Amino acid sequence: VQNKPVTRVRTIARRVVFLGVIALQLLLVARGYRSDHKEFAFQMFPEASSWQADVVRVLPNGDRLPVEQPWDGYSWAGLVRDRGLQDPAVRHHADAGVDNQLAFLREALDYVATHTPADTQTRYYEARVTYWHNDDAPRTVVYRSRPRPEAGT
Amino acid sequence: VNDLRALDALLAKRVSMRALAVLRIAAGLLALQHLRPFLDDARRGFVYRDAFSHPYASWYPELPRSLYVALLWVGALAAVAMLLGVATRVATATTFAVVAYNVFLSTTHVHNNRAYLVIVLGVLALAPCGRELSVDQLVRRRAGHELPADAPGWPLWLLRFEAATVYGASGLSKLVDPDWFGGTVAHGRIVEHRADMLQHHVPHWIVSLLTNRAFDSFGAKVVIATELFLALGLWSRRTRYVAVWLAVCFHVAIQVTSSVEVFSYLAIATLVIWAVPSTHDRVLVLDPAVPGHRRLRTVVGAFDVLGRFRIEPRPASPVVVVDRDGSEREGRAAVVFVASRLPVTAWFALPALLAPSNRGCVPRLVEQQLDVAR
Repeated sequence: VQNKPVTRVRTIARRVVFLGVIALQLLLVARGYRSDHKEFAFQMFPEASSWQADVVRVLPNGDRLPVEQPWDGYSWAGLVRDRGLQDPAVRHHADAGVDNQLAFLREALDYVATHTPADTQTRYYEARVTYWHNDDAPRTVVYRSRPRPEAGT
Repeated sequence: VNDLRALDALLAKRVSMRALAVLRIAAGLLALQHLRPFLDDARRGFVYRDAFSHPYASWYPELPRSLYVALLWVGALAAVAMLLGVATRVATATTFAVVAYNVFLSTTHVHNNRAYLVIVLGVLALAPCGRELSVDQLVRRRAGHELPADAPGWPLWLLRFEAATVYGASGLSKLVDPDWFGGTVAHGRIVEHRADMLQHHVPHWIVSLLTNRAFDSFGAKVVIATELFLALGLWSRRTRYVAVWLAVCFHVAIQVTSSVEVFSYLAIATLVIWAVPSTHDRVLVLDPAVPGHRRLRTVVGAFDVLGRFRIEPRPASPVVVVDRDGSEREGRAAVVFVASRLPVTAWFALPALLAPSNRGCVPRLVEQQLDVAR
């Protein structure tokens, strides 16, 4: 069986794909130093950081109910099952670093806020997060989900 | 212009695709292993969007539930076809497409090990890696139109770049992080597992050593140096065997101490791409009348998956290996050398090559050539 003749187009396409993939890979590695989600940056075991969060539902009357208590047929652990977020009250290792973990937590708050239609009470979700970046002193930050317009109606 | 021509020549250089064929089989198995938890969830009626998921882009197509589950099964079947080498090009491309689609459905799906799997599958999809070790090859051989086993080497060079980048990026990120370089991260992670170690009856003195700050600081530098050495050392033939040996140790250590899904297996399997991309260019001379030689022949036949050796029967001959450069080894040294070139035994045999008795290369052909020249 004869090999296919190499055309000019094939040569250029091969060159473009080869150099393009290398450039893209290097770009993604560089991006990993700034981005919360470090896709294709291959920063393995980046930190020894840990975190813990008290996540509550804030009701129209100001009551703050921990999400560990099921509500309107929902449970936090049922809604958020991935990335070590299922039991936020317990202190966890931040597998891919604190920034990555906190970004996932913020996204999870928004996800829960927008995927619980039977809940007409919760105005928003709030997480009071304590994190330990490596052996630094603990820091506390507060995140809120997007507001839920359907609450209190 | 000359640089571009040199690059084009490098990319077009025809080399053996044997290593990629071997990797194709491993990657097919690992793709199955990767898809299994998604399929298990689907069997229980759960898919990713039933719980927290976060799409990268609103325009990224999301399939209806039944189609999504069907796609996962298509991916699994394609992975089986890929590892068997049935319609290899289509099967490999399909496996890549399904795995990549699924990974990019949500930020929560992306992990380093999955990213590496996507890269390996992507490169395999670009390469004609089904011309050897495949059902396709058997069918074509029977039909009398076997395809050449060599092909332009650019997918292999690209995968080598990616494999080295994984080590380099990881090592560099640790090198520039004062907490990593100083040992704080290593110390923190080990201290975190102190109770587990004691529970698993790890001796106190080992736990005490592992949680020693100075030891962890030293260990962190060893880890960084190892990763950077792997990123560079795999490129040179002078350091490649040391790098491969170290890489296996490194990945076994990661597998034992961490949960990294398919990463360790994939990274070890991918080491085959650093084999010189030519086949049957070393000669193994055996005497068919000697039972020990016949056993060696069986072992080489079974485990020489990279096609390193061409076996030549020669009555009344000791075991002799003639290397690419014409140098020869005889007897035990030859057996050790053979074992050092078979993927499953290489890790055990490579250190034995350092023994002076196993290094006894006898460049007879070279000497003969020199004699002729004289």
